[in-house]
This record gives sequence, C-alpha cells and structure tokens, in this order.
Amino acid sequence: MKQMPAEYYQLLEQLQAVDFVLVELSLYLDTHNGDEDAINQFNHYVKERKKIRKLFESQFGPLMQYGHSYSGKPWNWDDAPWPWQV
Amino acid sequence: MFTPEKAYYPYVSPFDPCKPIVVKTYSTPPNLYMGFQPPNLPQFTPIEALRAGTLWKAFYDPYYSPYERAKEGPST
Repeated sequence: MKQMPAEYYQLLEQLQAVDFVLVELSLYLDTHNGDEDAINQFNHYVKERKKIRKLFESQFGPLMQYGHSYSGKPWNWDDAPWPWQV
Repeated sequence: MFTPEKAYYPYVSPFDPCKPIVVKTYSTPPNLYMGFQPPNLPQFTPIEALRAGTLWKAFYDPYYSPYERAKEGPST
C-alpha cells in the first residue's frame, strides 16, 4: 500500500497557502492597481510558489499536465495519489 | 460599532400553533462597513489566511450557527 511521506502533505499545504494568498492579492489588485506594496508582495509570492512547486515536483512528480509540468521517467503524471485521493 | 451578527425579533401571534421563534439573527460581515478597501491592512500569515478564509485580519468573519457557542479566533 503506497504511503506518501509527511513532507508531501507539508509541501502541498504550503503550496495551497501561497496559492490562496495569490488569489486574494490578485482580486485586491484588480481594484487597487496602484498599490506598490501589494504588487511587490504578489511578485514575492509568485517567486515563492515557483520554488515550492519546483521542490515538490522534483520529489513527487508533476503537478499539472499538458506542458505545465516536467514529466518524470517513466511517464508518471497519472500515478496515484490523484487530487481526490490525497 | 461593527458586529458580525445582528438580530431582529419577529412578531409572535397568540394563535401561533408552533413554538414561536423569538429572535432571528443575520450575518453582517465586515465588508459591508468597509467600503473601498484601504491599502496596507494588517494581514494573516499564509497558513493562517488559508484557515481564516481571508488574507486581511479586518475581513475575518467566522460564522457560528446560533446553536454553536460563538467562538472567536481563527482556530476554526
């Protein structure tokens, strides 16, 4: 029975948290175009998300498909756990 | 003063066969009172924001049904 290590869940939670911050900031910035601090914070979290994604995908395989993520060898985007199985 | 919930008291008829509902509450989230959001509001950390449901502390609005005890704090 395949068990995912604890780090898998920690990284996923961090990714989810950063995604949420990005969603909130982009909604905020839609109506506050001139807010420099928020834009800097947004860019900071975009860089942060790239780091987390790179770290996650290097260990646990691609997060997305159709060219949005590199593939492992062998082809492994359809390996368990799927999002609803996590 | 901002309160997350407000209540009204419906009229109860003497001929009402069922147990009367004396008080009914409705939610009044902070964004009703905020208007255009000012910049640089205090924020939660990302993990806390994920739990609290909003990035800015001013907009935090936990909903507790009248049957639950009104719990404050982003622990929910």
